[in-house]
Amino acid sequence: MIIPGKPLPIDRSKRASRRHGQLAHSVYCLAALLVALFLAAIAARAQAGNGEKGVINFLEPKLSDPVLQHSKEIYVLNGCAYCHGVDLKVRNGEAADLMHSALVGADVDGNLLAPLLRSGIPQTPKLSPMPQFSDLSDREIADIVRWIHYARQDGRYKELASASDSAPGDAVAGKTYFDQRCGSCHSKQGDLSNAVGKYGAAALKLQILRPDVLQPTPSWRVGDLNNTKLITARKQHQKLLENYSASDVANVFAYLQMK
Amino acid sequence: MNLTRRQFHKFALGAPCVAALGGMINSADIQAAAKIDSNIHGVQFGLQPFCYHDLPMNIENRPVLIQRMIQNGLGVVELHATWVEPRFTGPDVTPEEARDKIRQWRRSTGPDYYKKVKQEFDDAGISIFTYYVNFSASHTDEEIDATFEAAKTLGAKGVIGSYGLAVAKRLAPFPGKHGMFAGLHNHDNLSDPDAFSTEESFIKGLSFSPDFKATLDVRHFTAANQDCLGFMERHHDRMSSVHLGDRRRNNGRSTPFGQGDAPIIPLLCMIRDNHWPIVALLEFEHGTLLSGVEEVQICFDYCKRALE
Repeated sequence: MIIPGKPLPIDRSKRASRRHGQLAHSVYCLAALLVALFLAAIAARAQAGNGEKGVINFLEPKLSDPVLQHSKEIYVLNGCAYCHGVDLKVRNGEAADLMHSALVGADVDGNLLAPLLRSGIPQTPKLSPMPQFSDLSDREIADIVRWIHYARQDGRYKELASASDSAPGDAVAGKTYFDQRCGSCHSKQGDLSNAVGKYGAAALKLQILRPDVLQPTPSWRVGDLNNTKLITARKQHQKLLENYSASDVANVFAYLQMK
Repeated sequence: MNLTRRQFHKFALGAPCVAALGGMINSADIQAAAKIDSNIHGVQFGLQPFCYHDLPMNIENRPVLIQRMIQNGLGVVELHATWVEPRFTGPDVTPEEARDKIRQWRRSTGPDYYKKVKQEFDDAGISIFTYYVNFSASHTDEEIDATFEAAKTLGAKGVIGSYGLAVAKRLAPFPGKHGMFAGLHNHDNLSDPDAFSTEESFIKGLSFSPDFKATLDVRHFTAANQDCLGFMERHHDRMSSVHLGDRRRNNGRSTPFGQGDAPIIPLLCMIRDNHWPIVALLEFEHGTLLSGVEEVQICFDYCKRALE
């Protein structure tokens, strides 16, 4: 049995030391160091690429919110990460791209994902059907769904934050989008009248994607749990973030900048 | 009598010689080539390193793969081509361009390259049992020949992969030309008539060539509500290996060993008691919070306990 953090049974350095004495031991250590440096260089170079190289730790980075961390662990424990990626970057070419799936984008608290998880996708032209998870508890299913949405929001934020600079927006289209999706809570003439001045252009784009004021901090204080206005606003922005296109963001940005 | 570790393994592994019923696979050959002894009471264990899920399968990670197999004490590997071949995919490369590049690479790469790879495994005491390549309709004859030659240079006995009946039919003349076998590998797709997923599909595929062997994926066969033990009883002489893992029936999820519906213990006992030269390749897909090395060890220990 291998115990984490404990050396494994094969310890070649000790064997070399006994056999060849101190000189051989030193040579071995030097060689081991060079090999370690070489492997570290390989790992560093690999990790600088698409992130699918080196050795992966599915549980890192550890999240400050224990509920989200637990949800990630349930997602990993059920093997979802092997195909869909822990960060929703597809690892197995056959798996659905949950980062951009319309179904995930339309899901509200598992109303679409939970039935799909329970039934699997047995009918498929792909080599290997998605298994069914009918024996999981409601809580486990909710954890998997929670992680998918969190990872999608995180991934979409990164994608859109870097992509939204590439094309100028259409202010007219932005107004239409704003009126339909944002207008019930915000107004360009009201709370957002000085948005550009307040944040500056670059930061405003990031605020459109994920407003700082709505960033969740783990809190189980009763007052925070009952702040329905904040909770609702957070959920609405999370849903928008999951479904924005790069042009949506550019258009809304152009509209807010328009005088 | 003082024996070095190497001499001990040579002595211990050379003793039992079980002739393969199918002709080409001989468990003694497999064992003799492997210096790490992972033969447990007559069952030769190996690894499909896909189940080091935390270790992406690429050339850069090959030294880590070898080190991990030493740590796990597994002396036989089914080596996926991605551990050997460069990757040509990338953000600015179309799938067609990448496909062309790998085809060209396979046709132009000589045996010296593969000999060096084989040496890495030889030095670690690991035998390459099979080479895993997913053949498709896009493979040219020249490319298929080159792949079998590459596998042979690596020391593999066969080439296996995930493909359906149509591709298998096309592959039929190739393994015999190279003195090897081709492994047919199942998933659990019951909706695709071309897929290997049932006993009937295996019977059909195996009829295409005497050089075809079944690589029975126990996990997927169970999920497809098939009878693993019955299949072994009826077709053991046409089997090269099993992919050993656990899953629940009815397209159920993968589970840790012993928690699903796959008959892992009886299956291993059948191989042991009938002296079948069927290699048990550990390959699981259940999630874990442990490292790949730790989880493989748990699975391997489960099998060892079953055979003690």
